[in-house]
Amino acid sequence: MIYLIDHEDSFTYNLAHLLDSIEPTFVSNYYEIDQIKLEKSSTIVLSPGPGEPKDYPLTTKIYNKYKGKKKILGICLGFQQIVFCEGAKIVQQKNILHGYQSHIKVTNDKSIFKKNFNFLGGRYHSLKMAEPFVSQSMIITMRCVKTNVAMAVEDDINKVYGLQFHPDSFLTPHGKYLIKKILSR
Amino acid sequence: MLNNKEYLNKLYQSDKPLIIYKTDKGYDIYTDFSRRIIINKKNLKYFLNIQTKSKKSKIEELNCYVGFFGYKLLCENIGIKFPKQRSKNFHSGVFYKPQTKISIGKKIIIKSIKPDFRNISINTKKYLQLNKKFNLNLSLKQYSKIFNDFSKNIKQGKTYQIKIAQTYSKKGNINSIDLFWKLMKMNESPESFLIREKDYNIVSCSPETLILKKDKTIRTKPIAGTLRKTKQLNKNKALTFFRRNEKETKEHNMIVDMERNDLSKICKTGSVKIDKLKKVEEYRDLFHYVTTIKGVIKNKMSNHDIISSLMPGGSVIGCPKISTIQLLNRKEKFDRNIYTGSFGIIHSNGDMRFNIMIRTLLNFKNDIELSVASGVILGSTAKKEYNENYIKAKSLLDLFN
Repeated sequence: MIYLIDHEDSFTYNLAHLLDSIEPTFVSNYYEIDQIKLEKSSTIVLSPGPGEPKDYPLTTKIYNKYKGKKKILGICLGFQQIVFCEGAKIVQQKNILHGYQSHIKVTNDKSIFKKNFNFLGGRYHSLKMAEPFVSQSMIITMRCVKTNVAMAVEDDINKVYGLQFHPDSFLTPHGKYLIKKILSR
Repeated sequence: MLNNKEYLNKLYQSDKPLIIYKTDKGYDIYTDFSRRIIINKKNLKYFLNIQTKSKKSKIEELNCYVGFFGYKLLCENIGIKFPKQRSKNFHSGVFYKPQTKISIGKKIIIKSIKPDFRNISINTKKYLQLNKKFNLNLSLKQYSKIFNDFSKNIKQGKTYQIKIAQTYSKKGNINSIDLFWKLMKMNESPESFLIREKDYNIVSCSPETLILKKDKTIRTKPIAGTLRKTKQLNKNKALTFFRRNEKETKEHNMIVDMERNDLSKICKTGSVKIDKLKKVEEYRDLFHYVTTIKGVIKNKMSNHDIISSLMPGGSVIGCPKISTIQLLNRKEKFDRNIYTGSFGIIHSNGDMRFNIMIRTLLNFKNDIELSVASGVILGSTAKKEYNENYIKAKSLLDLFN
């Protein structure tokens, strides 16, 4: 079972449908966590949402508790929450991209995806992760072709994955393929 | 006895409460109301899940309730608390049970369970318009300040898009029937309606369908993108404009994903699909950019669940819904009243049709008011959005010239 933590976003249920079509998915608000279901789940997914990681200390706690014990996937804000917990700073980016479709490329040959795989992704973010990003086991694996902004991180040892873009958006035609592959790890 | 046409004319000239609702084929008129229910947050769920299901009439089409939910009621229904706002204390929502339905299409068809329904007397009420000009509640300067504050909120990631509402108002009374048919001649829109009541009137040329539910299938048709008509523009050129315009495209994409989300909450996994992506619809003063999304409702979902997921409609608030409404509540000093609420019909078999109350004029007591909104999107300017609001209000304001 997948436990999807909703940060009161208006895109969470797009993600829930995408996940549920692969594996049964339970959704709850970030402030109404069902501890028993969370404990039983095999994967925790952190939803998109407004604001920035430090606005959600409860989610930070959950990440720190379950990292390495369960598979964790973060989308948009969820991506930022993961890298924030791994020590990255979250900053405003120059161009604010809400409802924007970008070319995204796999840039690292250690990625679970094939290097140079190029696809279209829908983006809804005004903040981004500051670089350089240094981590022992987490690597940046995808970038925006045009601006080089980091679009994905992977830690295949601890099974932690983050996507800055929205695989759930209709602007990401390969969204299901991407999620399926991550969930199969 | 009066023939159908004579009856209809007399009905118009009476002061009997009635509702007119635009349909695919023409117009439906509902009257001879046996019940009027004021909807508030306490009885909303009971009304939707129990009361509307009663099948008392032998005529199937009369087993329905017609009416509206105001904006505040819909927000409170999803757990949002409101600060103190200036308010006219208008009804939070009202629904009516009709005993007579008149369908106007190629022919006039009347169905009624009221034996003496043709018995009506003519009203001699005088309509009075006190001030000539409408007042606008926000000046460009005030609007710009809110616009700039919200722009900051967007940069901080607190909202992705936010719509500022403005209200035009003046003192007076309207003859809503005359006004409605005048409006339909000029700007017939798919979700137009009229409510004539003893204590208030609503006249609307809403173009936006929020819920179209038949059996287990539900559709929504969000509008995002507005273009003012000029002589050089036609539908194809408008489409090219929208496709090439980054701001309109982004705004539209966001609303499509948001409405997909709201449907996904109540629909079977995998059933939510985009039916018609990014079409242009043509109106008297403007073009709109529209998408249709559909889904199949999950077995256990009630009509209250459906209303809670889709209302208030996202395209008139911004995104994400909850945090954006909270930001709006801090800046909007006036109650939105009926504006961005929903008007529609609920049948006893569970089928529903609802619009979003935009391009909608309310006459309550001696006040006439009309609100419009447009989005703060980075890359747009306060002045441009302020003017876009005027274009949206124009066809209704023109009625008073």
